[in-house]
Amino acid sequence: MLGFLKSSILSKFVVAITGLIMVGFIIGHTLGNLLIYAGPEAINAYAVGLKDIGGVVWAMRIVLIISLILHVIATINLVRHNKAVAGKYKVNNYKASTFSGRFMAYAGLTILFFVLYHLAHFTFGVVDANAYGMEATLENGRQVHDVYSMVVLGFRNVLVSLFYIVAVVFLGFHLKHGVHSMFQSLGIHGKKFTPMIQKVAAVFAVVIVISLISIPISIMLGIVGGQV
Amino acid sequence: MNLKLHIWRQKNNKTNGAFEQYAVSDISEDMSFLEMLDVLNEDLIVEGKDPVAFDHDCREGICGSCSMTINGNPHGPEKATTACQLHMRKFKDGQEIYIEPFRNNSFPVIRDLVVDRSALDRIIQSGGYISIKTGSAPDANDIPVPKSKADVAMDAAACIGCGACVAACPNGAAMLFTSAKLKHLNVLPQGQAEKKKRTIAMVEQMDKEGFGSCTNHYECEAACPKSISVEFISEMNFEYAKARATAYRD
Repeated sequence: MLGFLKSSILSKFVVAITGLIMVGFIIGHTLGNLLIYAGPEAINAYAVGLKDIGGVVWAMRIVLIISLILHVIATINLVRHNKAVAGKYKVNNYKASTFSGRFMAYAGLTILFFVLYHLAHFTFGVVDANAYGMEATLENGRQVHDVYSMVVLGFRNVLVSLFYIVAVVFLGFHLKHGVHSMFQSLGIHGKKFTPMIQKVAAVFAVVIVISLISIPISIMLGIVGGQV
Repeated sequence: MNLKLHIWRQKNNKTNGAFEQYAVSDISEDMSFLEMLDVLNEDLIVEGKDPVAFDHDCREGICGSCSMTINGNPHGPEKATTACQLHMRKFKDGQEIYIEPFRNNSFPVIRDLVVDRSALDRIIQSGGYISIKTGSAPDANDIPVPKSKADVAMDAAACIGCGACVAACPNGAAMLFTSAKLKHLNVLPQGQAEKKKRTIAMVEQMDKEGFGSCTNHYECEAACPKSISVEFISEMNFEYAKARATAYRD
């Protein structure tokens, strides 16, 4: 299954396709998270709704976990080889590369550690078991997991929020370079298309970053979750 | 103009190199970069010292021999210009200039600024040709080639194989070179028969030589003295994946 690692181009294909799958997840996850602005009822009902369609969610989770693992294995393999063989100069004078491009691996590793922490915090409830164990009652009387309070209490911790903000900003850099790179890697390019997709990637990255970091910032400022 | 040069000196592949400082004076701004080095070498020879070894041949920007990294840029700061075509007027009087070889793990230093770029030749040998039966010359327009395809083939064939793309790549990749050589033949009707075999062979030879892989920094395109487009890399990716995916039919 890992035979692609022997080929530079097939590795790039795997990185691009798994990246695309994870971009799909990021879009869905961001839209879901923004429900926090609609109040406790909306996000708690959304969370329990996801659990109710368990089979589909688990199928998506398995695809995502496999994508993440392949993405990490392929990129670590490529980066290690590339770093070893590339020329090392006394003077470096970049003409075309961007900060986000050169920062890919560092951003990626930070995001990986963040994802593990984020799962421990909000999915497995390891970080703060009390906040994780809270329950809320929906308008239809159903007792559900209180995601709203868990998120609000979690982000009231300045360190948790800061780590989140840093990781999401790194994610933005990763997306700015990654989202247009995946098209180039898969052979989709063009004189008009390539500059266009580079702009789309930059705008996409900014939109995702602003959407996500607005949540801990609003919570710390008390705009969201004041009643919790 | 007067310049302070820091030049990489290395006896051979087995010894470690180091920078040495040289001062050159009364350099005309109409000289090429290589002519400036000629002046330095004449001075060194008169002083009984070893001249700086560097590759050069045509000195008109078409042979791909000259290969030096000037202040961090292969072939120097000018866009679409080889080191031999780079004029000293592009530098300032009194400027410090660092001159290093084209660096890559697969480009061992032979001496000073001269590196062994045979790895690129071996990529060509693996498939960068069209097999034909020799005989009398074919008629010029025997095989119709659409203008659009002829133009693309010419754009790709502009590659002089100097290796600046490899030297510029932060990943040490040779993908711009390999993709240009592939495209040049793969786009023409004459190249169709061996297209799949060629694509697989050249990409695999590139990997075997130990080159890195593209992460789309595009330093190669910026360094290329012939402005070869990174579009060719994208096409190579697709063509290679397609060739591998359909290889079972052969």
